[in-house]
Amino acid sequence: MTASSQTVVAAPQRPFRDEAQVETIACPSCGGPITRGAFGTVEKIVCPYCGSELSPSDSGALALLLEVRRQQRPSALPLHARGTLDGATWEVVGIVWREVTADGTTFPWQEFLLYNPYLGYRFLLFFVYDRHWAIGRPLDGAPEIGMFFSRKVAKFGGKRYRHFQTSLARVTYVEGEFPWQIRAGDQAVAHDYVAPPFGLSVEETHDENGADIAYTAMEHLEGDAVWKAFARSGRPPNPVGVGPLRPNRWKQGAGVTWVSCALLLVLWVAISIGYTASRDAVVVFEGRSAITEPLTQEIDLGPAGDVTAVSVEFSAQPLSNAWAYADVLLVPHDRDEAIGVGVEADEWHGVDGGESWTEGSSHNTVTIGGVPTGSYTLQITPQAGEGTSTTPPVGLTYAVVIRRDVVLARYIVLPLLVIILVPLLLWSFGLMVEAQRWKNSDYAPSS
Amino acid sequence: MMRAPVNGPPDPTFCPECGAPAPFRGTTVTLICEYCGSTIVRTGVDLRLVGKVSAILDNGSPLLLGARGNFRGDPFEILGRLQVSYGRGTWNEWFLGFRDGTIGWLAEALGQYAVLRPRDPSTVAGVATHRAFTVGASLTLDGTALVVVDTRVAQYRGAEGQLPFVAEPGLSFYSADLRGAGGEYVTLDWGNDGNHNRPVPYFGRSATLSQLGMHPLRRFAGWPMPQPPAAGGARP
Repeated sequence: MTASSQTVVAAPQRPFRDEAQVETIACPSCGGPITRGAFGTVEKIVCPYCGSELSPSDSGALALLLEVRRQQRPSALPLHARGTLDGATWEVVGIVWREVTADGTTFPWQEFLLYNPYLGYRFLLFFVYDRHWAIGRPLDGAPEIGMFFSRKVAKFGGKRYRHFQTSLARVTYVEGEFPWQIRAGDQAVAHDYVAPPFGLSVEETHDENGADIAYTAMEHLEGDAVWKAFARSGRPPNPVGVGPLRPNRWKQGAGVTWVSCALLLVLWVAISIGYTASRDAVVVFEGRSAITEPLTQEIDLGPAGDVTAVSVEFSAQPLSNAWAYADVLLVPHDRDEAIGVGVEADEWHGVDGGESWTEGSSHNTVTIGGVPTGSYTLQITPQAGEGTSTTPPVGLTYAVVIRRDVVLARYIVLPLLVIILVPLLLWSFGLMVEAQRWKNSDYAPSS
Repeated sequence: MMRAPVNGPPDPTFCPECGAPAPFRGTTVTLICEYCGSTIVRTGVDLRLVGKVSAILDNGSPLLLGARGNFRGDPFEILGRLQVSYGRGTWNEWFLGFRDGTIGWLAEALGQYAVLRPRDPSTVAGVATHRAFTVGASLTLDGTALVVVDTRVAQYRGAEGQLPFVAEPGLSFYSADLRGAGGEYVTLDWGNDGNHNRPVPYFGRSATLSQLGMHPLRRFAGWPMPQPPAAGGARP
């Protein structure tokens, strides 16, 4: 500023250069102290104590708009509580209770208007009915609303949000300061879209001067995080149910689970092929005899000091409404415990109600895993019977083939079950959680 | 008549009311005398006294007249503020002079900010009258897909510093805000009469005060001041 003027003038007015002060005024209705924590951003003040409404007039002084006599109600957080969220300090300057009614049930929640003079406003939501929390931030832009597989969706920032519900929310209780007009009884239509733990809320307001749409980006918050942010003592209320935004923990890391499942399957196929190829299934015994004759022979299951899988193949013929059974005993030469296995063949047929039937099998195989290698004495003791008798049919013969180093199917099947079961379980748990979440949406299966 | 750019030296003009310097710059038309509060309108070489208007409302803005910042690397200075109000509240339109001599606006509402710069009206020629705009409608302007998020008729509430048009009490401003999926922000300004289809378009983006490197900022009791931008960050 040059001093070229000859006139003596007053010092320049430099508005707002002094520090803005927090004022406390007495409510003109009930006399209660109202702290003006949001400075001049405010369009409406609702006395926390009596609910009377004040609004700044053109002169800046507060004018009493509406006198109300209501009691103050306790909210999950008090007015003027300060907390740290998103790396900044915020103060609760306003509290609004809202609710929606669906199918005769009322769902109430509390909205805490958070203020920072340099960052503007955020919304902290506490859903009273299931005790979940969420934070709302003004969305930096407008989402694209469209359809995706016949479902209404909102797209923003590369993320797709599914329409969850459209509801008419009523304001039931107000206290504190607001940068817009608000009053108990106000109603607004809100469209909620979800992509847990994120959401988008779209709210339209109309008045005689125009209309606007407010887009809010929502994010689920754990009660513990809110309690820590606002340095509350004790524990936050325990949440119940899933809520629209709570992350589905069964879906977290689902991608990693499926990729590891695929890698394990590839590994499993390779190992199974290698395992199968390494088994040569050498025949160590092959014998045939009349059913009344036992068989005995020395057999060799390979060099001692290892284990192998042994298969016992048993067949008997001719079988006609008869059974045959072999008690196969492997007596090791160097140890005391023998290995015993029973194997059976049978054949049954008849006519029942004009229809002929057959069942049973004349040929069966039993596999034993974990058999120590070495030399054994094999003893096969056969039995047989016709009908319910234990008299062997005349002319029945049986055959036994014993192999070592056979493929043990459970070595292949069990790992496969484990590999597939883990992601399948996670996936089905995830589906159950989502079903519970969407039960409260506009898309719930009709009850 | 050619004038210096908006960022040039002030003209040697004086307030007709109190005689204090009235440093009109560039193409600005209205100046609120910072000594006596009179509104002075410049038409050609004449200065006209509109009179004293009620002081602007302290609506809690952290921005200050004369503060500097930069929008995507272009430094600017706040030259003036227009305060308007409508049914849902009061907001500020801060008049910006960029270092390259162009102008822009920093819109402030509910603690959200956007920097907008004028485009040639021909880019949206024949778009529609103000009345024909409804919130939620989609349209493409100059290749950008947008959604109408706000339509309003706002009243002049007050002003400080300098403004590029005649700012008088009683004026109404017809405008619509549009936003894109990529953070684009467009305002269509029909001026004081919405019954035509030649609004002036302003294109820009939303931004935070720290992104704009605004300095200095107003002080608020009980709130720590954000760190000033690093040297060289916002210096014009």
